Parts: sequence; C-alpha cells; structure tokens
Amino acid sequence: MSVNQLILRNLKKNLKNYYLYVFALMFSVALYFAFVTLQYDPAMDETKGSIKGAAAIKAASVLLIGIVAIFLTYANNLFIKRRSKEIGLFQLVGMTKNKIFRILSIENFLLYYGSLAAGVFLGFSVSKLIMMVLLKITQVDGIARLHFSGAALVQTLLVFTAIYALMLLTNYIFIKKQSILSLFRVVSNTEGRVKTISIWEMVIGILGIGMIGTGYYVSSKLFDGDFTSVNQLFFAMVFILASVIIGTYLFYKGSVSFIANIIRKKKDGYLKINEVLSLSSIMFRMKSNAWLLTIITTVSALAIGLLSLTYISYYSAEQMAKNNVPAHFTFVDSESAADFTEELESNKIVFTEKRIEVLQAVMNAEEIIGLKMEEYTQDPAAMSVTVISEKSYGQRDVAKDEVYLTGYSDIMMKFISMKDSGPIEIRGKEEAIPLHYLGMEKEYPVSRYFGGSPVAVVDESVFEQVKKDLDPSIQRDSSWYIGIDLQDERELTKANELFNEHQYTEAGMNESRLDSENIQKRQMGLTMFIVGFLGLTFLITSGCILYFKQMDQTEDEQPSYTILRKLGFTQGDLLKGIQAKQAFNFGIPLAIGLLHSYFAVKSGWFFFGTELWSPMIIVMTLYTALYSIFTVLSVAHSKKVIRESL
Amino acid sequence: MILLEAAKLHKTYGNKFNKQEVLKGLDLKIFKGEFVSIMGASGSGKTTLLNVLSSIDRVTNGSIKIEGNDITGMKEKQLAEFRKQHLGFLFQDYNLLDTLTVKENILLPLSVSKTPKKEADQRFERIAAELGIFEIKDKYPNEISGGQKQRTSAARAFIHEPSIIFADEPTGALDSKSASDLLNKLSDLNQTRQATILMVTHDPVAASYCGRVIFIKDGLIYTELNKGDQTRQEFFKDIMKTQSVLGGVHHER
Repeated sequence: MSVNQLILRNLKKNLKNYYLYVFALMFSVALYFAFVTLQYDPAMDETKGSIKGAAAIKAASVLLIGIVAIFLTYANNLFIKRRSKEIGLFQLVGMTKNKIFRILSIENFLLYYGSLAAGVFLGFSVSKLIMMVLLKITQVDGIARLHFSGAALVQTLLVFTAIYALMLLTNYIFIKKQSILSLFRVVSNTEGRVKTISIWEMVIGILGIGMIGTGYYVSSKLFDGDFTSVNQLFFAMVFILASVIIGTYLFYKGSVSFIANIIRKKKDGYLKINEVLSLSSIMFRMKSNAWLLTIITTVSALAIGLLSLTYISYYSAEQMAKNNVPAHFTFVDSESAADFTEELESNKIVFTEKRIEVLQAVMNAEEIIGLKMEEYTQDPAAMSVTVISEKSYGQRDVAKDEVYLTGYSDIMMKFISMKDSGPIEIRGKEEAIPLHYLGMEKEYPVSRYFGGSPVAVVDESVFEQVKKDLDPSIQRDSSWYIGIDLQDERELTKANELFNEHQYTEAGMNESRLDSENIQKRQMGLTMFIVGFLGLTFLITSGCILYFKQMDQTEDEQPSYTILRKLGFTQGDLLKGIQAKQAFNFGIPLAIGLLHSYFAVKSGWFFFGTELWSPMIIVMTLYTALYSIFTVLSVAHSKKVIRESL
Repeated sequence: MILLEAAKLHKTYGNKFNKQEVLKGLDLKIFKGEFVSIMGASGSGKTTLLNVLSSIDRVTNGSIKIEGNDITGMKEKQLAEFRKQHLGFLFQDYNLLDTLTVKENILLPLSVSKTPKKEADQRFERIAAELGIFEIKDKYPNEISGGQKQRTSAARAFIHEPSIIFADEPTGALDSKSASDLLNKLSDLNQTRQATILMVTHDPVAASYCGRVIFIKDGLIYTELNKGDQTRQEFFKDIMKTQSVLGGVHHER
C-alpha cells in the first residue's frame, strides 16, 4: 500500500469516527465567516446607529477565534493520543518520525481544509439568514442581501490557517517527544490510576463544596446592605468569583469522588449495575479531568449568565416601556394631545383618553423606609413624591386619612427596606398632612416625565388640600398627564406613523410606547445577538469536547462491558447504567454551571430589567435542551460499543 | 449425572469464499462435580470450544445442553439470563473492573441476580475466607498482586454457585507459586462445593490438578485421560506423554 492510499484509508475511517469534529469545525468556520461577512456588509451601517455595530461584531469575532482555537487544538490533542498505537506501529515498521508527521499532516490537511471549504460555503449561505435574524431582533427595517466579500474570505482563511499551523506544531511536538514504547502506553497513562480515597481528598472535597457555598451566600448578600461602599462591593465580587471558581475546581478534584465514595460505603460492596457504571467511573474520571471541567463549567456559567442578563433586558423592553409610558401614547401638553386625537378620529381609529392631574410634593417616610446603602437614595425624611387622586386613578379605594404608593421597582427595593404599613407625612409648602400608608402597588399610573416612582395615591379631599398648598419650585411645567390607548392594537403601527409624522415629541415629553420599546430593543438586540451566537459556539464546542471525552472513555471501558456481559448483564442493563453515567457526566457540569449562573444573575439582575424568572428560565431551558443533544449522541455511541463488546 | 452435553459441534469462521472450520463435529460430556481441563496446541480450537460452550459465541451447527437447557437456540436476552444463573467465568487477564474494589467486583454476579444484601454478605465472607482475600476486600485491583487478582476473579466466579465454571488459561499470567496456590484452591472448591469446572490450558502442570484431561486437535477430540487413583505427579507424566505424541506441528512430506 502506498502512502497515499494509507492517507486516504485513514481519512475515510476518521471521517466516520469524527463526524462531530468535522461538524463542529464546519460550524465554527461558518459562524466566523458569517460574522466577518457581516462586518464588511454595508447593511451593518443601519444597525450602527444603535451601538457601533461593526466594532461590536469585530470584538465578538476575536472572542470566537479564541474559543474555536482552544477547542480545535484540544480536540486535535485527543485524537492524536487516540491514534498513538497506529503511530507506534508505523514507527515499528521503520517509518521515520518526520514521515509519520507528514502523513498525519496531509491527512489533517485534507480533513481540515475540506471542512473549512464546506464551512465557508455554509457560512456564506447562512450569513443572509444571520443578517435577517439580527435585523429582526434589533427591529431595524432593512433588507438582507447576499454579499460575497473577498476580504471576509481572506480573513477567514488566514485565521484558520493560523489555527492549523498551531495544530501542526502540537502534533509535531507530540510525535517528537514519544518513543515507540510510550506510544503504545499513552492511553493508560492519561487517566489516573485508581486508588483508595485518602483523607486529604476528603478534605479537598469538603473544602470545595464549602467554597462554592460561601460564594453563593456572599452573592445573595451582595446588594442586601452589608457592603456599603463601592470598594467593599468590588472586593466582595472578586471574593465571590475566586471562591466559586476555586471551589468548582476542588469540587471536581475531590467532592465528586468524596460524595460518590460516601454512597458506595453505604452500599458496602453491593452495587447495582447503574452504580457500577456511573458512580465508580465518575469518581475517578472526573478527578483527572478537573481542569477541563472547571473551565467548561465556568465558561458555561458565564455564557448562561450573560445570555440571561441580556435576554432579561431585551425581554423587559416591553415592561420597561410600559412603566415609562403607561399608555400607547402619552402627552403632557394638551395642545399636542388634542391635535393627535383629531388625527386619530379623521383616520377612524378608535381610542380612549385618560387624563390625570399630577402634583409634586415632598414625603416624610422616615417611619416606614430604612436605607440599606447610604449614598444611593434620597433622605427618607424628605423624599420627592408624585401625588395623584384616587378619583382620577381608581385602582384601589383609600379613606380620607390613607395613602398607598404605586410604581414598585425591584431596583429601588434593593436599596431601601420598606415596612408594610405605617404613618407618613405629605408636605406641601407650609403644612404637612399625616396619612396612614397602606402598601405598595406594581402599576405605574403616569409617564416618567413626572418623576417615576413612587407615586402616592390619595383621597380626593387630600388631593385638593395638597393642591392648595403647592410648593411652586418643585412643580413640573405640565401638571396634566394624558394617556391615549387604542382599542384595536392592530392599528398601532398606523397610529404610530401619525404620531411620528407630526413630531409631537418635539413639543415636550410626549411619547409613544412602541417607539420607546423599539429603542430599548435596538440597544439590547445587537448585544443579545452577539452574546447569543458566542454562547451557541461555546455550547457546541464544549458539548463536542465532552462528547469526545466520553467517546474515548467508552472505548477504554469496552473490556469492562465485555466482563459485565459475560457475567449475565443484558445490553439493556448496561445501557441503563450508561445512561445514568452520561447523565452524570454531562449533567454535573451543566447543573453546576446553571447553579453558578443562577446565583450570578440573581445577585444583579435588577440592573438589567424588570423580569427575572421567565427570561432566565427560557435561556436555561434552551441551553439545557441544546446541550442534551450531546448527551443523547454520546449514549448512542455507547450503545454501539456495548453491542460490539461481546 | 450429565451436566453439560455437546453434540456435533461445528464452528466455521469467515465467508463462503474463505471458510475456516475450527470445530468439526465435536462431542463432549461433562458430569456434575467434575474438574475437567481441555488441552491442545495453539489453533486446535480449544478457546473457540470454551467460547461456544459458555454461550459467548454461537455454534454454526450442533447442540449444547447445560442442565437440560439447550442454549444454542436461545435469544440474546435469554442467554444473558442463563449466564447470570448458571455460569461462572475465570480469565487469564483477570477481567476485574478497575474502578471497583475487590468486594464490589466479587459481589457483581449477586447484584445481577438481585440476591438480598444480607445473604450476599454471608456468601462473600465465606468465599473470601476460603480464598484468603478477605483482608484486601476494600482495595482496588491496581493495589493488589496478580495472584490476589486471580483469586478475586475466582471468588467472583464461585459466589453465585453456578452450575459450571469456565476457566480460560487462569494461570497464564501468574508466577508458579501463585499458580499452584490458585489451582489448589480451585481443586479444594471443586471438592467442598461440588462445583463443576471446565478449564482450558496449555500448561500440563495446571492440567494435572484436574480429574480428567481432554485433548483436542484440529477441531476434534483426540483423546482423553482420567486421573483415577493416580497421584498428581503420575498423572502429570501421563499428560506429558500424551502431549508429546500429540505434538505441535507435524511435518509430513
């Protein structure tokens, strides 16, 4: 057989084994190419208005290269180790190391550049799709056209050739360093030898769980008022990061085997098939992969966290717009309002109008409000407050001496603590009216022009009393809020066009909710787009790495399957065990990553939006679902190995 | 009482253009409580015989009955069930799971058959004491010697009291001291537990521990020797003689 035939033969075999690697490579190339194409695309200028679009995408593509480079060199390392026997054999029959290196390089070259070409083609065809997704989520009206950019192609080729060179270098070093003997032995050397658990490992195990727990605890206290200065906050954050990451490492190094060992001790030697395959192997394998798993977990946590946060702000765009602009259109000058309603009528658009008179006053809420952080809010003894009458905004009845506040915000609640009820005072220019505070409501009755939250809702008579005793220096130019709601949402775009045509925004703080929402979405959209695709790349590469690892392990464990089947375990029994094992192998890093990101998001989400749970759960579910694909693939592979193992 | 009865076993490997017949209509009977060894040169088909008898491989033709059950017609699931109940295995390379302790390895067959834990513990203590491995029960296979590994493997083969134990060159990887230790234990267990053992070996010393030695050549039984009332030394000499007649490769011109 000539060398060329040898290469082709190997290539064929490898393609079957490493289809996932080829897929991941193609995917990364496609994504990178698409990103670079976007960067050179004239249509990017339109999204540029929001954030510097091209620059952001450029930064993202650099990150993308980082992830992809690490992934490819890692996968390549795994593969060359798997083929060490073959390499040893070549050497044994008298090939020089240089020749072997050449064979491997040519083989790699064909595989790599084949996938690269396919990836570029794929990337070119999906770049339009990606562009469309981008325009859709940034709510920019633009038409995505297919532009083939030569510059993008050159850049992609250059970058991936550099990665190829890096792979060649690692291969070269690997082959140079090995002797024939060690090549035959390499597989058994990579995984640590199985030994009885020592006390030291138990200590590491407990320490790991402890550190993660401490990190979580501190993160939940981060904005609870224990850290009152920026410096302290900063140190607390660094502490959390360090403690959680080191804790994660120790967790894999010790805790997993520690916990598994406790469970095994309890069984006293009598293990079920599930436990044989899952517990015992995880116990030892996780330890030797502690570094890899820590990196995967940390970056997954980061990806999920960032995705959640950006999605929270994107998701909250609607709610935020609703809080800032309570009606479809809000006006503070009645002339514009009158003009607009006339326009609506002439266009036969049915609407309802709501007028609320709004006053500004000062509230003494010392009795019910406590501060958590000194520098961040107003003095509770003299807070500015917006006052409206129960009559004009009748959500809830109030008696003559009662008041309730409305316009709850999570962010505000992080900085102050509030009692459920108690006495407060509303002060005008001269006199103060003592009132009984009833509680806090969620709704925002008037637009942000009037100062945002909180808004005090009082009895009509009290309202009149405040009105007579106004402090003119703190009043706004307009004291009327006019909210216009369309009856039929479908006419909103048309009404919005009318609104913009007449440029009512010029006349003061007249706002359209739709516009306000779109601005918010545009700002968050690009960020979400980039974070989303980076997250996806990361998900796929880390999923692939875990899959390769599993593939390797399963093949290593094939003799064990043979033994077990000889002992009378059926394929079904073994498969059940394998499923349990894979559930752990993939599940533990995922679960830890999710938990990390949950605590990270929970500690600071309120800076990003108004809704925590739904966006976070959506992101996490999606991530988990995509991630599970790799678990399924890996179980399918094990199934094949089990079938062949007798 | 006949425990295992094989009739007209044929086993062919390869496709229709390149056939290789390894077993050519071999007949065999094993009685309950026997310690039998099968000897033969490399390529004589002894390992293939062991594999088909122990249901790991399927015969091309012929029937195998163990305790009256014909295993040649069984489905994969039934076979697994059958192995679980009736068969024990001992291999040259121990075949212990590296990630399990000695005790866990030994208890595996009981876990397959879902024996109650208490009973499992009792059985473990008995067999571990008999084989002298109770002290190392919490060690991992990496931490013990070859002889200990093979005794662990033996304990695993015996613990569920199978109808028959198949041993494939069990002493192949052991030094002579450990090998004779193991063989003594095996023949003890054969006596005390009335366990039936079928061992494949090419080592005449190992074979001399058995009660009967079957020689195969080119896929058929060549001859067999019974120990009878002989001492082990005398039996060993007999075996040596037969083996030299049997020879390895004949140069017939």
